[in-house]
Amino acid sequence: MDGAGVEKARETLNLAHAMVSTMRTNLDRQTVSILVGLCEHGVHPEALATVVKELRREGAAMVSRSKLETA
Amino acid sequence: MEDDVVADLVKQLVKRLLPSPGNSTEKSSSSSNGEQQQTTLDRAFQYAMRIIGSRIAPSLASDEVAMAESIKRQLVQEGRSSDALTFADLHRRFASLSGTGTVENRWAVLYLLRAVSEDQRRDAAETKRTAVPFTSTLSGPAAVGGLQALPKAAEHPKLQVSQLDAPASSSPRSSLRNGSLRLPRQQAGSSDHGPQGGVLILSKDGDNVKSIAIREYIEISQVDSEVTEAALVRDVVYACQGIDGRYVKFDEDQDGYVIDANVKVPKTTRVLVRRLCEVGWLFRRVRNHISESLEDGPLEAIGTVGQAFCAALQEELGDYYRLMAVLETQIYNPIPFMSGGATCSGGNFLSIRRLAVWLAEPLTRMRLMAVLVDDCKTLRGGAMAGAIHMHLQHGGPLVRSFLRRLMRRVCAPIYEMIRRWVLEGEVDDLYGEFFVVAQPVKAEALWRQGYQLQTSMLPSFIPEPLAKRILRTGKSINFLRVCCEDQGWAKAAAAAVATVRASANGRGGLGYGETEALESLVAEAAGRIDRHLIQIVYNRYKFRDQCLAIKRYLLLGQGDFIQYLMDLVGSELSLPANNLSAFKLSGTLESAIRASNAQYDDGDILDRLRVKMMPHGDGDRGWDVFSLQYDAREPLTTVFTEDIMATYLRIFNFLWRLKRVDHALSATWQTMKPNCSVGRASAIKGDGVKSELTVVLRRCQTLRNEMNHFVTNLQYYIMFEVLEFSWANFLAEMEVAHDLDELIAAHEKYLSSIVEKALLGERSQLLCKTLFSLFDLILRFRGLADRLFENAREMEARNQNATRQRPKRDFHSGSFNGRKSSMSSLSGDFLTSISEEMDACAVEYSSLLEGFIAQLPVQQHVDLKFLSFRLDFSEYYTRQHMSMSTTPLKFRRTSLKI
Repeated sequence: MDGAGVEKARETLNLAHAMVSTMRTNLDRQTVSILVGLCEHGVHPEALATVVKELRREGAAMVSRSKLETA
Repeated sequence: MEDDVVADLVKQLVKRLLPSPGNSTEKSSSSSNGEQQQTTLDRAFQYAMRIIGSRIAPSLASDEVAMAESIKRQLVQEGRSSDALTFADLHRRFASLSGTGTVENRWAVLYLLRAVSEDQRRDAAETKRTAVPFTSTLSGPAAVGGLQALPKAAEHPKLQVSQLDAPASSSPRSSLRNGSLRLPRQQAGSSDHGPQGGVLILSKDGDNVKSIAIREYIEISQVDSEVTEAALVRDVVYACQGIDGRYVKFDEDQDGYVIDANVKVPKTTRVLVRRLCEVGWLFRRVRNHISESLEDGPLEAIGTVGQAFCAALQEELGDYYRLMAVLETQIYNPIPFMSGGATCSGGNFLSIRRLAVWLAEPLTRMRLMAVLVDDCKTLRGGAMAGAIHMHLQHGGPLVRSFLRRLMRRVCAPIYEMIRRWVLEGEVDDLYGEFFVVAQPVKAEALWRQGYQLQTSMLPSFIPEPLAKRILRTGKSINFLRVCCEDQGWAKAAAAAVATVRASANGRGGLGYGETEALESLVAEAAGRIDRHLIQIVYNRYKFRDQCLAIKRYLLLGQGDFIQYLMDLVGSELSLPANNLSAFKLSGTLESAIRASNAQYDDGDILDRLRVKMMPHGDGDRGWDVFSLQYDAREPLTTVFTEDIMATYLRIFNFLWRLKRVDHALSATWQTMKPNCSVGRASAIKGDGVKSELTVVLRRCQTLRNEMNHFVTNLQYYIMFEVLEFSWANFLAEMEVAHDLDELIAAHEKYLSSIVEKALLGERSQLLCKTLFSLFDLILRFRGLADRLFENAREMEARNQNATRQRPKRDFHSGSFNGRKSSMSSLSGDFLTSISEEMDACAVEYSSLLEGFIAQLPVQQHVDLKFLSFRLDFSEYYTRQHMSMSTTPLKFRRTSLKI
């Protein structure tokens, strides 16, 4: 990837992230870049969205579990 | 390779999304916890990969713009318009980037964003909601009202858990496939939160029974179906646009869109989908018609009206597409479950049932369009417009307004054609669609044959009289332009337009449904143009003078002229027809004109008068072929066509014959008069021969008188009862004629009335034949009388010679006795023969006349009664006829002689 490409990729990522934040989706930059990459690799977005959601739920469950544990 | 990258990325994603080992949770957990963490990660990764792997074929067509639109709308709906604007801006920039390093699959990214944000929003809402029971468990139902499209079931988490005993995570496949099952999934997720409150509500809420029932129903209904409703809705919307969906495809055998037979769906759904997809089927038909007519076929095949029809259909389809686009954006809004209640009804989502409501109106319209397409496939032009007009006779206001709109478009070319035709006289019709058809004809036939009304192309909403009026108006313009070389019509047309526009207050446009506007325009234009045309015909071409001239010369109205002509031309015409010189006859005509009052007539009219020799055969005399001709010239040949002139010729021939007979009888009288003395002299003498001569002469006198009576009366009848009477009528009709057609009709009526009354018509052929044989007989009699008087004169001359030789005083002495015997024998032979001939002539004449008079009442004409009265005023012939019919033998003998 040449310099311009990198530059462009960054810009794209910036924009994507901006959109993400506009939509108040709590995804950080890194996650967004991973997701965009996955999309680019032909992963179906619906599936991806499900993954994100499931993972988040899992994460939340873990957090609450650990909270319970600590409690 | 690709898979590796994906796996790698997923792994990263899992790491990022799950609480990392470096988290606060980690601190408090033991080292075995770390391992557990690892296994959790692994499990999550496996799970994620499974999810991703499960979805290989996307069932949605990717539409980036629609997606962005959907997101924006979502934002606006949440009341975050500024965010929506920001997003739009960002998206624009995002979309404008291209080249390496940018995102190719932008749609996927957008879809992902939307899905994630939606999930998140719902989560947020749910936590908010589920938070309620923590604080005040009883206020649960009250909190529902203000919240948007959220499942009531969420308030019963306990129930939820028991119902959906299989958590989503354990069966991701089914939950994913059933896109519409998101809610249960959500509830499953939220079930972790408030088990405490649910029990309370469950025990208190009576509605729960209903809720449970609904839920069970959903379960059951979902069991049967392999396909989610959302996917079906999507497919139906596609099918409605003529695109095969994933499950709903066009089936050639069943000729319609059906759900794939291999897909398991409840029968009701199948039927419902099939019913909905009728729109798609109809749409295909309409679209195929449009594309076939506009793109494939030559334009001649459909014509401008067909094009207008297709354009109108296309416009309607445009509306339809718009609706479809709206529906399509709503596909992406998830279907909340059939949990009922006010919360759900307001949402922008589509279920199959909602789709049915949405599609009800387009279905009617599409059906109509398909019917029209089928009806009009073979029709063109005005016929097509007429066919569509027929469909307009419909009670439904929707149908009417739709068709009216369509008709306005379809008829636009026809009205434009009418406008051009009525105001400019142009047939603006490349594809033969107009109800006026132009035929390439010579200028003189322009009016009668140049333009025809083609009834097959006459749309039924234009009444026949109006169509005729339209036809005549354009014809008048063309007549003025081509035959009269006149430009005044343009001014008349412009004035008509101005008047109509003024009376219509500026909305002078023609269009379907404004028949009154059309009528007033046509009436105005027709009135003005016709008036102009009539003026031109009267003033410039002196129609009235021409008619008068024809009457005077061809119908022998100018008596002195005819008399002179007859005198001058008589000797000439006794020659055989092939010895005649037309040139000489023309000279004779000239001198006849100069000798009579005709010389004061207009030179232009006299120029048109010619001698015409009819085609003649052997043995024809000049009398048979001589005729006068009047050259009406352009453009009056439209009125005086060749046929008309041929009729005039027939009338002329008849009148000429009559005149000749009359003339002959007069000439006989002329010869008779000086010979009167002969008769008197012989009568006095009482001589045998002379007395015989006297008898013959007397016989001749009476016969001539009888003939003269007949001819004079006939002539009187023809001249006054027929010609003048018809002429007077014609003049009156000419006064009131508004257009050329009426003028032509009046003239034809005039002519036909003459023909009919002058016994030249079809019905009086027999009578006419009798009449002509009567004429021939009279002419024969004339010859006979001439011979008789020639002889008598000779006798007289000889007598006088004899007396002159002697002194005058011996005038009365019978001194020519020596010659007498020879002469008497000579004249005796002659006299007997001539008296026989005269007798035969008289018998024949009386029988012919008998027949003529007997036939007269058979004719229907009232006027002929006058003739028969005149001829037989003393009932002499009737009585004779009576006596004859009582002695049929004699009658038969005489008739045999004929």
